[in-house]
Amino acid sequence: MRFSRLARRIILLAALPLLLFAIPAATAATAAAASAATTTGWIRLAHLSPNTPAVDVYLYSFDDSSAQIVLHHVAYGTVSPYEQVPTGDYTVAMRAAGAAATSAPVLSASVDVVAGHAYTVAGLGPESGLRLQVLDDQLSTPPGKALVRIIQASLKQSVVSVKWGGDVLNGSLKFGSVSSYQTVSPGTATLTVSGGGDTSTTSVPLAAGTVHTLVVLDGANGLQIDNLLDAAGSGLEPAGAAATGFGGMAPRAPSSPLPWLAAIGAGLLLTAAGGLRLRRVSAVRSASAVRPVSAGRR
Amino acid sequence: MPAGRRTAGLLLAAGLVVLGAGATGLALTRHPDVPRAAALVVLPAPTGSIEAVVPQGAAQVAEPVSLVIPSIGVSTSLVHLGLNSNGTLQVPPTTTVAGWYTGSPRPGAIGSAVIAGHIDSVAGPGVFFRLSQLQVGARVYVRRADRSLAVFAVTSVRSYAKDHFPTADVYGAVPDAELRLITCGGTFDYSTRSYLSNTVVFAKEVS
Repeated sequence: MRFSRLARRIILLAALPLLLFAIPAATAATAAAASAATTTGWIRLAHLSPNTPAVDVYLYSFDDSSAQIVLHHVAYGTVSPYEQVPTGDYTVAMRAAGAAATSAPVLSASVDVVAGHAYTVAGLGPESGLRLQVLDDQLSTPPGKALVRIIQASLKQSVVSVKWGGDVLNGSLKFGSVSSYQTVSPGTATLTVSGGGDTSTTSVPLAAGTVHTLVVLDGANGLQIDNLLDAAGSGLEPAGAAATGFGGMAPRAPSSPLPWLAAIGAGLLLTAAGGLRLRRVSAVRSASAVRPVSAGRR
Repeated sequence: MPAGRRTAGLLLAAGLVVLGAGATGLALTRHPDVPRAAALVVLPAPTGSIEAVVPQGAAQVAEPVSLVIPSIGVSTSLVHLGLNSNGTLQVPPTTTVAGWYTGSPRPGAIGSAVIAGHIDSVAGPGVFFRLSQLQVGARVYVRRADRSLAVFAVTSVRSYAKDHFPTADVYGAVPDAELRLITCGGTFDYSTRSYLSNTVVFAKEVS
């Protein structure tokens, strides 16, 4: 009896702190990353053969007989803007300007466009040896640098040298050829192109994060340089991600269930204590109620 | 005995009340609490003629001054953002305005122009709160200092874990005029008080 009373008291005392018990809930989870997967590339078309008349240029998606892009009357020195196209195989065809679309092309070449890549399809060389060359175009630069390459499309000066400021970009570039890309420190400098007795200079800015193609052409007054901006990104790329949020609209995780579970536990203990006591009280009463009637009736 | 019975009854009653309260409380507090923002107000498209999509270098394009995204109710001026001393992207000083990273190409020039804005403040939504709700094809308008207007169409909306941020995809060179809109997203880590992801919207200039 004494033990059970003690036990009940202990149970009651234990229930009290459980009622006051609370633990804050905390969650931490990393968000899944979804990486970008591009499904397009870029193509541009160029006529860089000095003695070839203007052409019509057609771009066909593989197995498609109707052209995706048609450029009419593309004259020497023209480089079209990049067209964004779905990845896959393409055919580029050149016909004489004004020729029927069904006529046999003068030249054709195939291009396999890979996701995120860019290509220049250029008619190069003299008319007698005209060819369509597919160039892989660079789109990314080393951090903080510029990339530059040269297409030599001057027939009059069969070999040229190209300097930009103090950098020799190419000491001798033959007509109809394309130099490899050079990495340069960004800035503005004088571009000097010389061949034979002819020299041409122009001020050219090459910014960080940009890719350029310089095209050397036979202009009206001698050598002419076209500075094509192929691609540009951030000159100085930020490091990592952006801290653009303070959490005011973030979902708050459900609070910890522990305080509620503690309350349920305390409630069960109190109920049990009450029930036990009630049973004991009832047992004592019924025990006294069934006391044998005393003899006294004889 | 009556006292004993009364005590027992009180204990029983108290126990049931506490038990009931505990069970009810547990049931009611199981959902995350999501703060609600004011209803979306879709905006009209800005007026003015839209510039033709012609490849241009940065020198030929004026600096951006304001940004309007009608379908998600965004209309904000653009502050200039640089880099912090640790090389990370500066963020706008207030949560109600977006900013253009001056180290990136100008919107409308060839390249990937970068604009960033906060998703929220400590107390409520920020300028880019609804950025992740943009649909592919949605229009984004940038007004420049010479009053010209360039318009972009959303090509994709991506979410990146901040500890695996794809720098080349977001800041790398591209051969056409493109835009990247950046804000935070994903789970908010209360222990570091920062979001664990960035939402990046990719868009390209259209006429």
